[in-house]
Amino acid sequence: MEKLQQGKASRPATRAVGRTGHRFGEKLTAYLFILPSVFLIAVFGLFPIGYAFYMSLFRWRIRKGGYIGFEHYSDLVGSWGAALAFAVGLAALLVAHWLWTSAFSREGLRRWGRFIVALVLTAAGVAIALGWSTMMREGSEEFLASLVRTLFYALGTIPVQIALALVLATLLFQKIRGKEGFRMIYFLPYVTPQVAAAVVFAQLFSPRGSSLAPGSLSPANQVLAFLGIEPQRWLFEPRPLLELLFGEQITAFNGWLASLGVAWQLDGLWLGPSLALVSIIIFGVWTYTGLNVVIFLAGLGGIPGELYEAAEIDGANSRQKFWSITVPLLSPVTYYLTLLGFIGSLQAFSQLYVMRTPFARDTVDTASILIFDTFYKASNFSLAAAQSFLLFFVILFVTITQQRVMGKQVFYG
Amino acid sequence: MRRSILFLGLLAGLVLTPALAQENPYEGVDPSGQTVTFWHVHDGPNGEVLEEIVQEFNETNEYGITVVAENQGNYGDLFQKMLPVLATDDMPQMLLAYQNQAATYQLADALIDMRPLVESEQWGYSEEELGDFFEGFVKADVFPSFGGAQLGWPPNRSMEVMFYNQSWLEELGYDEFPQTPEEFREVACAAAENPFSDAQGEAAIGYEISVSASTFASWVFAFGGDIYDAENNRYTYDSPEAIEAMNFLQGLIEDGCAAIETEQYGAQANFGIGTTFTATGSSVGIPYYERAVESGANFGFDVTAFPHTTPDPAMNVYGPSVSITQAGTPESQLAAWLFLKHYTSPEAQAKWARVTNYFPVRESVAENLGDYFEANPKYATAFELLQYGTAEPATPGYDFVRDLVNEAMAAIFTGDDVEETLTDLNEESNDILLDQLSQMQ
Repeated sequence: MEKLQQGKASRPATRAVGRTGHRFGEKLTAYLFILPSVFLIAVFGLFPIGYAFYMSLFRWRIRKGGYIGFEHYSDLVGSWGAALAFAVGLAALLVAHWLWTSAFSREGLRRWGRFIVALVLTAAGVAIALGWSTMMREGSEEFLASLVRTLFYALGTIPVQIALALVLATLLFQKIRGKEGFRMIYFLPYVTPQVAAAVVFAQLFSPRGSSLAPGSLSPANQVLAFLGIEPQRWLFEPRPLLELLFGEQITAFNGWLASLGVAWQLDGLWLGPSLALVSIIIFGVWTYTGLNVVIFLAGLGGIPGELYEAAEIDGANSRQKFWSITVPLLSPVTYYLTLLGFIGSLQAFSQLYVMRTPFARDTVDTASILIFDTFYKASNFSLAAAQSFLLFFVILFVTITQQRVMGKQVFYG
Repeated sequence: MRRSILFLGLLAGLVLTPALAQENPYEGVDPSGQTVTFWHVHDGPNGEVLEEIVQEFNETNEYGITVVAENQGNYGDLFQKMLPVLATDDMPQMLLAYQNQAATYQLADALIDMRPLVESEQWGYSEEELGDFFEGFVKADVFPSFGGAQLGWPPNRSMEVMFYNQSWLEELGYDEFPQTPEEFREVACAAAENPFSDAQGEAAIGYEISVSASTFASWVFAFGGDIYDAENNRYTYDSPEAIEAMNFLQGLIEDGCAAIETEQYGAQANFGIGTTFTATGSSVGIPYYERAVESGANFGFDVTAFPHTTPDPAMNVYGPSVSITQAGTPESQLAAWLFLKHYTSPEAQAKWARVTNYFPVRESVAENLGDYFEANPKYATAFELLQYGTAEPATPGYDFVRDLVNEAMAAIFTGDDVEETLTDLNEESNDILLDQLSQMQ
């Protein structure tokens, strides 16, 4: 009896041990399956990142020097306090956005919500402005300005290419003759080798015909001549586009500010990208619009046709259908393209490297270009590594912001 | 007594012989069976003839040494590929490097000092052989900042020259190309106002200026200055001669007598169609200019020295050398050296110069190139100018400085103040140099 009881008692225990063993076996199998990927990611992904960070902590040019800790980082940002103020300011912007959206979702909080948002925004603005100006004054102006130019490039390319791609995709989705041919044509720039295409664009946007290089007009200047506009220096022009367009008005505005005793002037980076950078932005838009068109077309294929039929029955016109059905239902695709677009643009290199000229001075030197020069030309490996890490944090911040702000706007049907 | 002296002499010889032999680490080393990698940048016909020279060596050398020549793209690509592998075993045993690049590599002790090889009784050159090399070419690879080490050995050189449209010059009523900057201004301005009759385009450019650090240096040399003070180890981009040279070029542009080269090889293309009167470039480019002219406006043209304020012309001679790295063993380093000796042998040099249009590095080779000089008179003209050669600095970080020079030139050519721009350039360049030299141990 005792034996029997013992036997009964031991059976569930054996089963439990068996289950545990089975589970362990399953886990082991799973780990073994992912082991190759983990190994590859660790060796070729994580280790180089870790090693780059390690390098950034040393005086490491051609050869490894002494340990310097975060000296490169503090040299780049100038002042940790200012950098913190700047970061807090940016974070406050996100908080303000959250307050704003939540205030509107609750009836009673509307008024107070707006008031609080206004306060947070003011604080954020002051923190960002003070932090940035101190960083520019005490840190590496060259590096910080390159970050701004990187943002110019991203903001100049992504919204335009996405808007253009959406319009083109919508048109191509209609029943038109030869749309397969158009799809291929729009996609071609993406599959064309970027360096080769950049060389061709450099010829298209040559300053030929301008005062710098008399002679036959470059294609871009031929277009301007057709429109009755003076030939431009394009890739050779370091002046900002706004200055070229509104030079006199800007001078007058700055004069007015000076007459009021305001020391600040509308100049430098405040005037936006140079014409040289704008020329490269045009190239970026040309390259990636086709890819976005193809992805948007896939997205359009997933929108049920009944929705459009129902809207037509309700009397909706084409514009209403586009804004009320197409745009919201494509928002996951738009979000995806924006996210990838920003990450890619912030890292953009080859087209900028090929198309830059000494005449554009440093106005097309984005962060990637500066990092490359620091590494290969100045052979300052550790400084380049530190610059890369700061760029990484910028990309991380932009991605998180997009996720927080845009992610909530996405409509999944 | 005599016997004792003889005995002591023998004893001293016995002691000193091994000691002397030990001084040169390559004496007695056996390079048999070694395989060495050679990173270079030559492709097309140049690559083919290099491969031929390599094959010849591989098949004929008595030690069974095998050289593997690998093209790495252009000089910039090669430099970029070297930096991450510096002072590791992943370096090739041999590579092409400009002097400033060699200096950068040597900051990591990546190269060997070739003096023991050059001077080796067993493997080096005799005094007569050494005297056959153009002294200036060999000295360009001696680095005072690295204790006078010989970090490279020249396989070829070329020179910055001025190409001009002879037919246009005659149309303008001049017998010969101007010798001084002032005369040059006069002719360039006349050309800009009087287009060439056979031109295939409407424009007329007196001088199409390339924005390049080598062009900058060439003009400064022509005005009697230098861009580097070797004694004090500092750049001199703000010297009175540099300021004068850049003021001169800025004036040419402002007066409409010169324009900027805005596209790669744009000056060569415009020269070919007869819209550019004069342009500057490497002497290696002579065949390319010939082809551009033949397929273009088909006129008579020639090469000459930069107009100069000095009694004699001052020409900017440049070219990469072959360096041997610390990778491998003394055996493989010696094997690399033996290939280099073959590459710079009179036979290989003659073959190399005829195909590539580079200048040979040995006088005996030049003496035997009579037929080539006759068939290529422009090459012969340029070769005659070699005696006036001077070089750009062999400083680490010079690639970075060259970019700054380009930017400074661009700024000057678009109207910035010359003195202020060059002062800033000089300050920044010297900061870079100091930063680079601080890495030396």
